[in-house]
Amino acid sequence: MDLENTKAQMRKGILEYCILSILSRSSCYASDIIKELKEAKVIVVEGTLYPLLTRQKNAGLLSYRWEESQQGPPRKYYELTSEGHTYLDDLDRSWDELVESVNLIRTR
Amino acid sequence: MKITVSINLGGYSFSIDEDAYSELKRYLKNLELHFAGEESSSEILADIEARMAELFRARIAGYKQVININDVNQVISVMGTPEDITDNGGPGAKDKFSSPRYHRMYRDPDHRIIGGVCAGMGAYWNIEPWIIRVIFFVLAMMGGLGVLIYLVLYIVLPEARTTAQKIEMKGNPVNIHNIQESVKKEFNTVRKNMKL
Repeated sequence: MDLENTKAQMRKGILEYCILSILSRSSCYASDIIKELKEAKVIVVEGTLYPLLTRQKNAGLLSYRWEESQQGPPRKYYELTSEGHTYLDDLDRSWDELVESVNLIRTR
Repeated sequence: MKITVSINLGGYSFSIDEDAYSELKRYLKNLELHFAGEESSSEILADIEARMAELFRARIAGYKQVININDVNQVISVMGTPEDITDNGGPGAKDKFSSPRYHRMYRDPDHRIIGGVCAGMGAYWNIEPWIIRVIFFVLAMMGGLGVLIYLVLYIVLPEARTTAQKIEMKGNPVNIHNIQESVKKEFNTVRKNMKL
């Protein structure tokens, strides 16, 4: 068994959930999302984020708007759509269930 | 003294050393191939370029004017190689051919007659495989040399199994830069082999 690989698989599963969670608080610029994911240590290489964001946008969970920036070209701000909010509520519930299940097994 | 190139990355303009430029170009090309099958791949690439531009700006803020090879390598390690970004393996699950290159010869199992050698060569040089088959056939008739070459190539060339390998097999639309690079690469491999 490859420990690093197993860890990476675990992280990957929750990454999508974390992105939606971050965006549920307020609309965000991709680099802000990166910063939070890095602080929480759920992302290793930054490149992983962008295909996920685009996929979630294509699935209708996110939308984005361009906003002017003082430092350079306009920036893409992502926000959760109403469909994304329902999706996230579902994920919240299933996450709680998962934690409960794992705890049940670990504390037995 | 070094030659620098001027580039536009994510809407910012940068001066970049020539060697750093070719490394960056190679990296972006590899990413492009990596996301080739993806819906809205150009959008993903644009986002990644925008982020890289930000990272470069942070690195050259204040005291520096030119991006060097060191900056490029640092930023690439922050963004991750295509192998790190891949979804089905994650870090640690390295591809068999981990050296990133985007045009190499394979045997083509999809269009093979015998072992896919001629089909693979045809895909590599973008010519009709039948032309190569005829050449092999003629060589085989004249003293059997064709058979020998075919057997050696069959052993040496790997089979293109994954989509990434099949894209690598066909390579990119031919342009001056690509030809230069492949010739240089071939030359280096030959030189390396001669030393061994």
